[in-house]
Order: sequence, then C-alpha cells, then structure tokens
Amino acid sequence: MKLQKDLEKKFLSDFETNQNIVHKICRIYTTDRNAHNDLFQEITIQVWKNYAKFRGDSKFSTWMYRVALNTAISLYRKSTRKVKTQDFSDVAYKIKATDYDDTEEVQLKALYKAIHKLNDIDKALIFLYLEDKPYKEISETLGITSVNARVKMNRAKEKLKNILNP
Amino acid sequence: MDLLDNYKKAWENQPEEACKFSTIEIYKLAQLRSSSIVKWIFIIGILEFVILNSLYFFVDMDEAYEEYKKIGLENFIYYSQILAYLILFYFLVMFYLNYKNITAIDSTNKLMKKIIKTRKTVRNYVLFNLGYMALLMIIVMVAEINLQIEDLNTKQIILIILLTLLVTAVALGVLWLFYQLLYGFLLKKLKRNYKELAKLDSVN
Repeated sequence: MKLQKDLEKKFLSDFETNQNIVHKICRIYTTDRNAHNDLFQEITIQVWKNYAKFRGDSKFSTWMYRVALNTAISLYRKSTRKVKTQDFSDVAYKIKATDYDDTEEVQLKALYKAIHKLNDIDKALIFLYLEDKPYKEISETLGITSVNARVKMNRAKEKLKNILNP
Repeated sequence: MDLLDNYKKAWENQPEEACKFSTIEIYKLAQLRSSSIVKWIFIIGILEFVILNSLYFFVDMDEAYEEYKKIGLENFIYYSQILAYLILFYFLVMFYLNYKNITAIDSTNKLMKKIIKTRKTVRNYVLFNLGYMALLMIIVMVAEINLQIEDLNTKQIILIILLTLLVTAVALGVLWLFYQLLYGFLLKKLKRNYKELAKLDSVN
C-alpha cells in the first residue's frame, strides 16, 4: 500500500514536471481543445498504467516521449463527443513572455499549421527533430533502423519545407 | 542556414503551455478508464466469441440432433463439436495473451504489429467458424441427397446443390462484409500508419 502511494507520488511529480512535452504532442496531433484534452487524458492513463515498468535506466522524459507518441499514433481514437471549437492555432498563443519575439510567434503558428498537414508518422519524426533528439533515440522510439530513420526524416523535412515555403 | 533552422529556433523558444493541469487534475485523469483502440478491439473480440457461440441457443439442438441422426451424421457432429470447443478455447487464450502483451512502452513499430496480431487472432477464429459452417452445410446437403437419391431426379439434385451453395455463399459474404466494416472502421488509421512506417523496411 505504501509502495503504491510512493509510486503514485513519484509518477505525479515526474509527469507534472514533464507535462509540457505531452501538451506539445497533443497540439501536433489534434486541432481543437476538446480533442487535445482527450488525447492528454489517454496519454496520462497510458503513462500511469506503464509507470511501474519504468526502470529508470533512461531519463523519464525519454521514456515518456515513446509512450506519448505511441498513444497518439496507435492507441488514441478520436472521441465521439468531439465538438468543433475554435481552431487551436489562432488561440493557443495569446499568452506570451515579455522577451518573446513576434516573428517567432508567427513562425511557430505557421510551423504548427504545416505540421498538421503531415501524416502521423511524419509528425512524430518532425516532432523528435524539433525536440533535438538523436537518431539513435528516434530509431528506437519508432522501431526502425537508424538508416531508415535518417531517410524518413529527410523526406519528412522536405515535405515540411514544401508546405512552409511552397 | 537551413529554412527549418529558423523554425526550430522558434520551436525551442515557444512558451510553456498556458493551460497546464494541476497535480490533482493529473491524479484524477490517471484514474480514468482508457478508451484506446486496443480496448475496443478487446471488447469487440470478446463480443464476437460470445455472439458466435450463443447462436446455438437459437437452434433447437434436440430437433437438430434428431435430424442429424436421421441422415447418419450424429457421430460427425458430436466429435466436430468437441473439436470446435477445443479450438475456441485455444483462440480465447491466444487472444487474451496477445491483448495482455500490448504495451505503449514498445517501439511504435512493435506496438502496431502486436495490435494487428490481436485483431488477426479474432479474424482467424471468425474464418474458422465460417469455414466450419460452410463445411457443415455442404456435408448435410450431401447426406440428404444420399438419403433420398432414389426419389430425386438429376435436375432436382442439381437444384438442391446450387441452392445450398448460393445460400451458403450469401450468408458467408454478408457476415464477412460486416466483419470487414467493423474492423476497417476501427483500424483504418492504424493500418495506414503501419504501412507508412513499414514502407522503407520492406524495400531494404
């Protein structure tokens, strides 16, 4: 009982600290607030469900990237209660830090908009690239060889560039 | 400088999510039930096992058994039923083990393979059942014709054969189509993603 409580506490602290990663993934794979929260919920459930198996031989965030992306790509089904709300890209960035540059805000909006046009696998590749993950980690997360990860990444980047700058 | 480098910089500098969840909210979310695709496959799979096997409740087994006895098939039916239950048990165990094996900590590729495998277990069970049904209908038909061979002329025999085959084919076709629609709907996205990921691996 005490062990379970400790595990819960550790999970909550780990997850809360890293929740921004999950939000970014939700923002990539969904386009409105309802779906965002729905996916966030499913990822939370999956991370908790598997948390006892997290050995700590890698960083928690590394491990969470995998569980969260897997949930978004393979496990998540769009909820039927989906209500069409305002498009996300227009409202999500109202709050900005004072030192935050306007051009970057415009670029970020354009980037999210472009990523939404990619397929699920390319989304994951581009996300891992933007998060500066090494190829070894990318290939392990997706379960493909490093060579294939590179080839796929280059193609995904090309696609993204074409959307951003047609 | 690469075009994407600028965007990457914007990405790195993006502000933190404005609507973060509190610890209490995360705790509550984690306790909720999953509504993942795998759960749906599990529920639908179990329903299929139950529905296929409860069909027997709608048939008067005593009456059917008498009929089988009349045409001399009682032994065949008896042993094939025992075999069918053994096979059902095997499929149920496999289905459960496959389901249990699915975890989000696998690589994306492996996870998708496991999900597809779980679905295939039920598909194979349905195929086995449809095959068994078709075989049974044909065997009963042959036995019936055999029993009344003196009273029937060639035209009648051909008509019986054609009708039986037609009814069997239509029944199986409808069931198969229903099945495809059910899983097609559920797994369209997954299959597309799997193909996308496997594309290069099969070339190399």
